[in-house]
Amino acid sequence: MALDPADISTETGAEYPPELSRLPPGRHGLPREFVVHNQRERLIAGLAEAVAEHGYAGTTIAHITGHAAVSRRTFYEHFSSKDECFVAAYDTVMEQLRERVAAAFDAEEDWAHAVRAGIGAMLEFLAAEPNLARLCMVEALVAGPVVVERYDAAIQSLVPYFKAGRKGRSKQVLSRLSPTTEEALVGGMVSLISRRILAGKTAELPALQSDLVEFTLTPYIGIADAAELAREGQAA
Amino acid sequence: MTQRSPAARPAPGRQQLSREFIARHQRARIIAALSEEIATRGYRAVTVADIVRRAGIARNTFYENFSSKEQCFLATQDYAVEEALRRVVAAATEVESWQARVRAGIAAFLEYVAGEPALARTCIVEALSAGPAALARYEESLQAFLPLFRIGRTVSPHGDALPATLEETITGGIFWIVYQRIVLGEAERVEGLLPELVEFALTPYIGAEAAKRASA
Repeated sequence: MALDPADISTETGAEYPPELSRLPPGRHGLPREFVVHNQRERLIAGLAEAVAEHGYAGTTIAHITGHAAVSRRTFYEHFSSKDECFVAAYDTVMEQLRERVAAAFDAEEDWAHAVRAGIGAMLEFLAAEPNLARLCMVEALVAGPVVVERYDAAIQSLVPYFKAGRKGRSKQVLSRLSPTTEEALVGGMVSLISRRILAGKTAELPALQSDLVEFTLTPYIGIADAAELAREGQAA
Repeated sequence: MTQRSPAARPAPGRQQLSREFIARHQRARIIAALSEEIATRGYRAVTVADIVRRAGIARNTFYENFSSKEQCFLATQDYAVEEALRRVVAAATEVESWQARVRAGIAAFLEYVAGEPALARTCIVEALSAGPAALARYEESLQAFLPLFRIGRTVSPHGDALPATLEETITGGIFWIVYQRIVLGEAERVEGLLPELVEFALTPYIGAEAAKRASA
């Protein structure tokens, strides 16, 4: 990998890496660990911006370092390749998304309301971060087998939230659920979200909450109750 | 001639076939070769040389038919999606009730996936990572399945009160289940999923109990 001459000229002789000079004044006494962490986060954010602009395949290291305002050398101190940077970005985004969903879900008393809150949290997060939304729901599939495997696993990790809905149901209800009910619900939900992101309608995702709540609750509590709970959630 | 697989080779003694037939046949062979190569090594790793070798044709012949690997991929998608839809529609129109049509349509789809695992992998798994044009075609192919379910609104007591996106989530759910089976190398066994997928598709319209009865 050839070094960009511009990187060398800005870095040689400087006491700090060039990106530090972009931090607010008075921060130069920050511990190195903080700076390194900060660089990594900036590279990850830079990758998300670059991918939103150029697509995964069209993104170059120069795009990433350009958005992150760090040198090429700094990039290679953190990551060995674009793929590796993408995996880090993907993991970071998914971790945040998982935390939001879990917190919203856990804050509710009963399962149906918890599902509604979890779906709401997911849609809000994605709508507020369109670049990250695109990264984890669309570009992840293009970023090679390592990420695709993670993507598949991330979708599957939503299954237990719905499986919890089986608890305490009558034999009659349980007999109508199949082994793949939850996978199909999750797959349908994610597919719809991805399609909207792909269509450039990321900002409108929260409006899907009612549809998705009704769709996912129906097998457990029936069409009428699911519809009511969905409507009341969208109004709230 | 019934052509179950696009890879079927011409029978011996058929040398006087028309140019048009041979050209169409070559195209079908290239399409089959691409999907088989994809099933073996994944789209990204496949080269035109791989396709040419597997199809048993000259490199020139490939380029007479397609300008690139990408274009060949899109043609493969078009071929398989059209064929799958043809079968789904044919199966669905053979029966009367909407519930039976959904069942027949899903059955035909699963049968096609099981019978053509390489094409299924190409269109349901690899299409997602093969670039924007392939992804757009994948989206269109999902779209084509929506009308089959949408008729359920006229049957459902809840009609237009049902979520506007219901057909998209149902189709997406079915594709996701099938996607996973293909990734796990179980494409040949997807037909066993018929009752649960039918139930999954019918439940939002007519309730779980009626859906269970109709799926059996």
